[in-house]
Amino acid sequence: MRWMWYQEPLASKRRYELISSKASIEEAGNYPGNALLALDKATKHFGGLAAVQDVDLQVRPGEIVSIIGPNGAGKTTIFNLITCLYRPTSGDISFEGRTLVGLTPDRVVRRGIARTFQNIRLFNNMTVMENVLVGLHTHLKASVLGSLFHLPSVMHEEAEARRRAIELLSFFGTGLVERQEEYVVNLSYADKRRVEIARALAARPKLLLLDEPTAGMNEVETLEAVKYVRRLRDELNLTILLIEHKLTVTMGISDRISVLDYGRKIAEGLPEEVRRDEKVIAAYLGKASTRGEKAPVDEKAEE
Amino acid sequence: MSASMSNRLLLPANDTRVLLIKWVVALLVPVVVFTLWSGESIVNAVISPQTSSLGISTDPVALLAAAIFVTVFYASTITLAGYLVAADSGRRGIIELWIDVFIFTLVPLILVVIFHDLILGLALCAVVWPVYFFVRGRVRKARHYIPPPPLESLEVLDVGERSILISRATAGGFWFGTAFAVVTLITDLVYFVTGSLPTLLLIWALIRTLVLPIAGYFLGRLAGVIALRRTLAAKGNGGNGANRVGNGIGTSLRQQLEVLSTTRAREEAKDLVPNDLPLRSTGAQRFYLILLGAFVLFYPILDPFLFGSGTDGRLANYGDAGRYVILALGLNIVVGFAGLLDLGYVAFFAIGAYTWGLIGSPQLGFLTGIVVNPQLWPWFFWPMVLGAALIAAFWGVLLGAPTLRLRGDYLAIVTLGFGEIVPIVFLELDNITRGANGIIGVYSPNFPGVLWTGFTPTPYYYLILALIALTIFANIRLRDSRLGRAWIAIREDEIAAASSGVNLVRTKLFAFGAGAFFAGIAGVYHAAKLGVVSPDNFSFGDSVIYLAMVVIGGIGSIPGVIVGALAVYAINELVLPQLDTFAADPSSVFFTIKSSIIHFAPGFTYGSVRNLIFGIILVVIMIFRPEGLLPSARRRRELHAATGGAEMGALDVVPGAPGFEEEVRVD
Repeated sequence: MRWMWYQEPLASKRRYELISSKASIEEAGNYPGNALLALDKATKHFGGLAAVQDVDLQVRPGEIVSIIGPNGAGKTTIFNLITCLYRPTSGDISFEGRTLVGLTPDRVVRRGIARTFQNIRLFNNMTVMENVLVGLHTHLKASVLGSLFHLPSVMHEEAEARRRAIELLSFFGTGLVERQEEYVVNLSYADKRRVEIARALAARPKLLLLDEPTAGMNEVETLEAVKYVRRLRDELNLTILLIEHKLTVTMGISDRISVLDYGRKIAEGLPEEVRRDEKVIAAYLGKASTRGEKAPVDEKAEE
Repeated sequence: MSASMSNRLLLPANDTRVLLIKWVVALLVPVVVFTLWSGESIVNAVISPQTSSLGISTDPVALLAAAIFVTVFYASTITLAGYLVAADSGRRGIIELWIDVFIFTLVPLILVVIFHDLILGLALCAVVWPVYFFVRGRVRKARHYIPPPPLESLEVLDVGERSILISRATAGGFWFGTAFAVVTLITDLVYFVTGSLPTLLLIWALIRTLVLPIAGYFLGRLAGVIALRRTLAAKGNGGNGANRVGNGIGTSLRQQLEVLSTTRAREEAKDLVPNDLPLRSTGAQRFYLILLGAFVLFYPILDPFLFGSGTDGRLANYGDAGRYVILALGLNIVVGFAGLLDLGYVAFFAIGAYTWGLIGSPQLGFLTGIVVNPQLWPWFFWPMVLGAALIAAFWGVLLGAPTLRLRGDYLAIVTLGFGEIVPIVFLELDNITRGANGIIGVYSPNFPGVLWTGFTPTPYYYLILALIALTIFANIRLRDSRLGRAWIAIREDEIAAASSGVNLVRTKLFAFGAGAFFAGIAGVYHAAKLGVVSPDNFSFGDSVIYLAMVVIGGIGSIPGVIVGALAVYAINELVLPQLDTFAADPSSVFFTIKSSIIHFAPGFTYGSVRNLIFGIILVVIMIFRPEGLLPSARRRRELHAATGGAEMGALDVVPGAPGFEEEVRVD
């Protein structure tokens, strides 16, 4: 397969071998309930406000799972709980059968979860290449002394990292490869999204969390985004958890959909089932309307 | 040498002739001024030491060093002339360039000669130049000046054009050498006629007149080869330096540049030949580095030629200035790279100083009863440079740990606390540190064949030079490493950095540790040089001064921080304390100002308003150049995002105007 390198360790020589993602998709079958990621009654309160209340969620290896819901339903909060930017008030979140609660965000990345943000958070005054190299941070081992004296191992690792960064960028065609020396602040919106995903991929995650990957994109760009989300799963064997407002997108690519409202999960299932669910229609369109498919697209930012 | 070649050399094509005039004049004027000021006296001293009238040492080693400097200086200037002629695309006006060059070379020369002190003169330039940038920006705006778009200048050179480039460079070197030879020959002849030039030196002048054009020819060819390495070759013409191949994907530099935004492309394209601003290209920067390196290395020998008597005092000052450079570079890691505002940096300087103060002085014997041989113990200075730096780094990590949850203002307040606590601890531990009396008799370093006393600043000059070199080296390597990337990522966006796998705790602690490490080095040097460590050397004011150096030089920019440290040191420690001395001279402008002020405020002295003047100078620099004197590329873009980063210089938007907030916003 074309993206074979993705599962390989960064440097070819054994001496420089990096934390390799040993657990392949097949091994993942041993976890309870076959879930790669499992939220067990995850709850997050901000003061008196229950942002997320008793949410159960399972993501199985190789799946694309979407979380949808109106603004303020707690979708991004769930992402922040998974990546340990927040600590759950109660409940448990486990990845590959081991709990994530109490880890620091960078440990979560090392465990194999990478994410993007709803309102793109790139390092604006760094180049495209540097952004992806920061994403490779967990896979580089250069010590301070090694960097000071430019030890051969460090130089080798650095060259390999750059090579891999270019490969990651070329996932989105040649455009970003050519602009690798550009400061990301100068990129188009869609390109910024791509760089953010490339940076997340650089950590070689098993689970990728995409927070509204098509927000602010036009029809053509959205269509393309949908394509590469599929390719991420099919070519890189990634498991993807996705927050998405555009129902057409969600319905098109998800294996399963979870619907949140006021911090609670109100429905879960196949796209077809969710679409017909009374509670979902009510949450999205208000009680009066029952015109299923043409749900309004929320443009405003959540949070 | 073929006939056509020599023909082209003597009668260059029309466009080359314009370039020749442009650059030969631009370089010749400052070089001749320098030569008449002191270059000539150095050469004369080397040729015939007996005739030199300045009371300069005739020590052969010093003379050899001076000879090496002179050779390097003139050779690289001639080569630079050739390079510039070859590297210029010829699209910028001549007059404008001359004004630029004269402001940047003649003004410092004149200021240095007037004030009789190198750093002092250069520091005043730090005030003059921002104002000049500001004025230039205004003039350009008034004339609706738009810099030429960058991509047009990306010329791809074929074989014919490449040979033209070489011949241009050769012509540049040759004509610069010739013009210089003629000018100096005329001056020497005038001297000879008036009888102030010995015959021996006249013979030398004649030899020089012959040698310079020939040397110019060959150095010019060398410049051509250097310039060629930075050209974009035509397709299929491999083996070219600038033709980077993007690993496996196969994008040439040219393709890469074509897809970049205008701002970014301009940043990249400035390294190519030919380009619009050859003076700012990395090729020319190499020459500046060579010149600067030679100058700094040989400075103690050159100083008597430049300024006459008083070398020791100046060298001692420069040693102090160097300590500030190390401190500013260290603080730059914390503030500039990692973006953590540290207002208590002086604490680590104090820890470094007290480490050597306690170990490298008789105090060690009083405290522990260990008797050391005062002849041999100073040797321990060398390992203790590293040791004290490590101890300071350890405390940096320790004091950094409680601040990890804090950001911005809160962090600054806590670090401020540490800056206050540490000197007080040293003050109050008077049974160990002798309290306010300080530790005296701290040993100087030891090195075979070198006399280290307070009265011979030359060894300290070279010591601090070596330490600065190490610091710069480490700073550059750290900045470009995995760790440096993580620092900058944290500064840009902490949450995104953590979510990309950067360990915030470790990375921030490394920043505090690395910053404190260099403060420790500066502390050891300070203790050894002064021979005394007392707590009043480490006040909150010092921390602020270090921060001012970083900000004024350009946050996050290594050359900027060095310049900032020197400028602030010179203004604060050399210029301002001397204003009253200057004012004692009735002919000086300071006397006039003082006598007019004294009408309103009897008893006025400059000393009493010293801090006020210092503050005003800082404010002026920050208004005219908010990004610092030599900003890093990132920083400059941040501050000039709205203007498209078209030109270095002042803000285009007036404070209060709607666009202002956006332009000066710092995240």
